[in-house]
Amino acid sequence: MRASRLPGSLACFLALALTAAGCGLSGGSGDGEATAGGCKVDKANVGSGALTGDVKGDITFQTTNLKKDFGGYFNGVIAAFEKEHPGTKVKWIDDPGDATFTQRLVADAQGCTLPDVVNINVNTAIALTKNGYLIDLDKKAPDAGEPFVPALWKSSLYADASGTEVHSVLPWYSGGIVQTFNTELMKKAGLDPAKPPTTVLGLFADAEKVAKASGGKYHALLANPQLRIPADWQQMGIKIFSADGKSFTFADDPRTAQWVEAMTKLYKAGGMPRDSLSSTQDPANVFGQGKLVYGPTNPNFLRFIQQNNPTVYKKTGVGRYMLDDLGHTVGAPQYIGTSATSKNAVTAVAFARFLTNAKNQLEWAKDPNVVIFPSTTASLDDPFFQSVKGDDPFAEARKIVASDRKTATADEIALTPGELNAFSAQIQLAMQGKKSAEDALKDAQSKGNELIKQGS
Amino acid sequence: MAQHTVDQAPVPAPLGAGAPRPGSVPKPPGRLRRALRAVTPGPTADAGGAALYRRWWLPWLWMLPAIAGTTVFGVFPFLNTILVSFTDAKPLGGAYNLVGLDNYTRMLGDADFWLATRNSVLYALIVVPLMVLLPLLLAVLVEKNLPGIGFFRSAFYTPVLASSVVVGLSWQWLLSDQGLVNTWLEKAHLIRGAIPFLSDSWLILLSAMGLTLWKGLGWYMIFYLAALGNVPRELHEAAAVDGAGAVRRFWHVTVPGVRQSMMLVGTLTGIGSLRVFTEIYMLGGATGGPGGADRTLPFYIRDVGLDPLTGNAGYGAAVSVALFALTLGLTLLAQRLTKEDEA
Repeated sequence: MRASRLPGSLACFLALALTAAGCGLSGGSGDGEATAGGCKVDKANVGSGALTGDVKGDITFQTTNLKKDFGGYFNGVIAAFEKEHPGTKVKWIDDPGDATFTQRLVADAQGCTLPDVVNINVNTAIALTKNGYLIDLDKKAPDAGEPFVPALWKSSLYADASGTEVHSVLPWYSGGIVQTFNTELMKKAGLDPAKPPTTVLGLFADAEKVAKASGGKYHALLANPQLRIPADWQQMGIKIFSADGKSFTFADDPRTAQWVEAMTKLYKAGGMPRDSLSSTQDPANVFGQGKLVYGPTNPNFLRFIQQNNPTVYKKTGVGRYMLDDLGHTVGAPQYIGTSATSKNAVTAVAFARFLTNAKNQLEWAKDPNVVIFPSTTASLDDPFFQSVKGDDPFAEARKIVASDRKTATADEIALTPGELNAFSAQIQLAMQGKKSAEDALKDAQSKGNELIKQGS
Repeated sequence: MAQHTVDQAPVPAPLGAGAPRPGSVPKPPGRLRRALRAVTPGPTADAGGAALYRRWWLPWLWMLPAIAGTTVFGVFPFLNTILVSFTDAKPLGGAYNLVGLDNYTRMLGDADFWLATRNSVLYALIVVPLMVLLPLLLAVLVEKNLPGIGFFRSAFYTPVLASSVVVGLSWQWLLSDQGLVNTWLEKAHLIRGAIPFLSDSWLILLSAMGLTLWKGLGWYMIFYLAALGNVPRELHEAAAVDGAGAVRRFWHVTVPGVRQSMMLVGTLTGIGSLRVFTEIYMLGGATGGPGGADRTLPFYIRDVGLDPLTGNAGYGAAVSVALFALTLGLTLLAQRLTKEDEA
């Protein structure tokens, strides 16, 4: 009798597990008229016609790891918004932004509970727009782009589910991009710190002089191609994607092969540490040890060096980033998206616009604890950015970046981690001499196309 | 669970009655007894003691927390993975389609998958025998109660406690071109140029194996230390009297004595070495060595299936099922081989 219960219980248990498994898989699109990303949403949030209605009610607003350092600023912005629009309440959530942050965000989106207003990066913006989780601002708030620098606004476009490029996010702050270098090592290698390279291949030509002079004691750059692609290619004006975004084209441009050859030559000449080919070494650390000529390109890195390696900071020079054939810099700003599944889209969009307006952005940029640059024309015109005082590396970087913000665009090519790994792997093989530059690029491109086709 | 006899495990007194006499069927007052009989399945004298008063569901109740945990974190994900492997599920978007065996056909024609499989199998083939033998030697070494031996036991165990990432970073520093190992070898004039531990794909794989071994030695040493205590001292003494040296005694007394533990360690390390990810990532970087040549199956699963935004969950699940099949296959094979060996 007792024995006979066991299979029965097991069967129940298995059935339960299977049902649960089935639940885990369920999803699919609902059959209601208004859906976004498989969620039922307010009809007003999708389709054509601007959002109308009063700004009131509760919304949630999510940032990533900002509460600790900037709690005062955000609470101030929220209080000002609630004062301007009586009857609104903004609940601020600050995600710690750890390794599983994106998974949590995706789970929220899948569960139709994406925060109403959410701070996202470029990769997340692409994925959420493609799957319909963000409000199409072109339709729902057609004048939303007015305050922003035109070059930046025009390039903050992502493809929606139908492949149409739409404005689904508001550009927020960006970090900027500069060249940083160790002036002492440059001089040792016979290079003039006042004349940093202006093209990507020019950088490699200079780096080869470093390789000749260093005798292996210091290096020009780290070898891992992941640190340089696709930014270098894009700056060189190489077309990375086809116009429809459905295939890669970088291997068809002879300049990409020239770039791989330059990397290979520099690697073999000892201009890059041999063991950095596939390693996770951080150039900021190696630069901080005074063993790397060219440092990271993020101005915020200067703060890291200033705090951790003051002697190296004193030797650090800053120059305009190589504009090369592209003629301007590209960068991925932080974005503010508004959720298509919001129950209170009018208020969500209003808060997103309030947060990113010129006044609020300028106020934050003036915080001495940050090196960030606003995305709105009016705040960039402020004397704070127009007449920077001082000549330490920090001030230099601020001057340079402020002067290029009006032309900088947001169309930085964002490869998926899978694509980046696949391309880097092939280039590593070329750098080791196991493949020609052309073959490596051809293989990289076909792997990339395969990944696009498979969706991973 | 150890089997207790009634004498060894005193049972709590049943309701309203004194403690039962060992071995006898206790007799509660008539009415209660009848009530109990109605809910307890036919007790016999053998069932003995307290079993008489247990509800049939009581054992299940005690097991419920464990069953719930296993179901939620083990059984459900396992079944879900199998189901997902037949779909084109993505992390975002909700919709998915059943695609039949498409993911599996893609897998069979995928050179990267086979490379990852080769690396994983190689990992198991090299690491398992060493991991079965080396900790045993280490255990024999620190088994004797000499003064200060505790220090060595702790020292050998320390790597087990350190996080894989910290250990990985230390090994990066040890093995880099200007790291400790290369500098020493160069100073000792044993090599001219640095050995490319971290840029040659074979050396990365071997270094990762070294890291796995080094980190696991202490753990399995503890297994063996416990097992060595069960090897009868008389056997050693008898062998010694018969003139067997230390080496002979090790092979003919110690090894047979800890055979069961060796089988356990073999199985555990076999499964463990097919799950290697961190070692490869720490030494070979995000691509899994130059050209991705050092990727293991878990590494490949992470590459194709686990990106939170763009991962191909369906294909990742298919590769996971392949990894499961491989693990199960190798474990069964190992068991069969050991049994034949015994027979």
